[in-house]
Amino acid sequence: MNETATGKRTMILNMGPQHPATHGVLRVQLELDGETVVKATPVIGYLHTGIEKNAEAKLYYKVIPMTDRMDYLAPMSNNLGFCLALEKLLGLEMPPKVIYARVLLTELTRIASHLVWVGTHALDLGAMSMLLYAFRERELIIDIYEAVSGQRMMSTYFRIGGLAYDLPEDFDKKVKNILKVIPERLKDYERLLNDNKIFRGRTIGVAKISGDDAVNCGLTGPILRGSGVNYDVRKANPYCGYDQFDFNVPLGKNGDVYDRYLVRMEEIKQSLRIVQQALEGMPEGPYQVHAPGIVLPPKEDVLSKMESLIFHFKLITQGFTPPRGAVYQAIESPKGELGYYISSDGTNKPHRMRVRPPCFVNLSVLPKLIEGGLVADVIAAIGSIDIVLGEVDR
Amino acid sequence: MKKVYSGIKNLIIGLFTTGKHLGRHAITVQYPTERWPMPERSRGIVVLLSDKETGELNCTTCLLCMRACPTAAIRIDYDKDEKGKRILKDFVVDQGICCFCGLCEEACNFAALKMATKYEFATYKSEDLIWHTDKLQEIGRDVPYEKPERKKPEAKPAAPKPAPAPNPLPAPEEKPETKDGSKPEVNDAN
Repeated sequence: MNETATGKRTMILNMGPQHPATHGVLRVQLELDGETVVKATPVIGYLHTGIEKNAEAKLYYKVIPMTDRMDYLAPMSNNLGFCLALEKLLGLEMPPKVIYARVLLTELTRIASHLVWVGTHALDLGAMSMLLYAFRERELIIDIYEAVSGQRMMSTYFRIGGLAYDLPEDFDKKVKNILKVIPERLKDYERLLNDNKIFRGRTIGVAKISGDDAVNCGLTGPILRGSGVNYDVRKANPYCGYDQFDFNVPLGKNGDVYDRYLVRMEEIKQSLRIVQQALEGMPEGPYQVHAPGIVLPPKEDVLSKMESLIFHFKLITQGFTPPRGAVYQAIESPKGELGYYISSDGTNKPHRMRVRPPCFVNLSVLPKLIEGGLVADVIAAIGSIDIVLGEVDR
Repeated sequence: MKKVYSGIKNLIIGLFTTGKHLGRHAITVQYPTERWPMPERSRGIVVLLSDKETGELNCTTCLLCMRACPTAAIRIDYDKDEKGKRILKDFVVDQGICCFCGLCEEACNFAALKMATKYEFATYKSEDLIWHTDKLQEIGRDVPYEKPERKKPEAKPAAPKPAPAPNPLPAPEEKPETKDGSKPEVNDAN
């Protein structure tokens, strides 16, 4: 028990790092006056992996598997950000098939990430069966990942200069199945949650933040759009051909937990629209750009052509060397603006790689959201930010 | 009273939605006896592949997989014969370090190693996860694979390559070969 300046007696409570509702190893130090939160301090660093520092000692193409491990619920987005940053530095133009495949897969990633969010968030607020339903639908997307890239979560599918392999044969069928199944299931979710008295009671008016505050705190992603600020990197700075697709950016009004929920549910629908457009317009063509020395040559060429063999050996053993300079590339990951700053000193390893993680910046607003509220609302607030601690700590 | 009524309505809607799932079959499987079929590309443990006819390993000890591995999970010991050709002594994969990224498989030109669709390799000790040539070869025997074929050279040499790379490689000096073949090379290309 501490005594504050006003003479009130408060208590320090550690929430986490092993608390199931903190979505990982987040520790929040709460100073409580009864049930009211007086002060909140998020403590992070329990999942620090040193990815940024590690990248300085690795050849460029070996960094891609590490980026998967940051936001492990959206591996394709992480790969895309890194690959786009380097392609910008190298000045590579992607063939249309690569662009469409990348957009399709990252939008599937967004759906998968939001499904996990809606499941775990509803579980935190007492709706147990939502978790099971959301994970069942996510399984369809994860199956596509496995068929496409070979891994369920750590896909490592995008390469600098294209894709690792071509899309599999039954890819169309599987994506069409998703386009058919998920909209129906979304109706189920909305029936369960949208008008549910308990869910509404625990989310409406909870953890509010105004649009101005959200901008001042540097928030991005659904939490910013839930406050009514229209900022989406896909629209503001289109990358990877997003300007060719037709979709809306859903906005909230009140900036509370319920609005963020609505924004994310609408984003799933908009992502499905993009997936449909990408699937219908999927062009034929090469899945990698023609850039010897940066992209691995095909296996048949390596065995029959001398130049290909030399490029293959050089790329594997020494990597490639981008020109001197620095580059920043931001993408709209499911959590917000994910930016990669890569500074190259003309050698085959990055001089510095800095990741602008959406989760870390969004988490910094947590004290603002919960101070003055109740302990029970802390769970709703943490859930509504949608953090992944792997990305917060990196 | 109105509150009670709407609460009951919510309850009925919720139970109706969840109740729809009562009649359907289970979507889970009883794991040790039943399994999901794995996709063809699924990346499981690293195995060594052998020639189907002779039973010899496909590995030519070019060390590319070792250099491509981002976590240095692969170690290759080799000797050199009098002509200077490398002879494989031991191929070691630490399955505990492996991050299943598949870069080694991409680097290999001879279909010598593959990430098979197998995933059960739990042991009681972490040392047991370090697999040597025999075990890797044994497990890889029934793994299907396609050996890349060497294309027949065309009658006329191909035209010069169109569109050179926007950023052609500079020519860094070649790495000197290790002089004494018996010493295992460390994975320095990380």
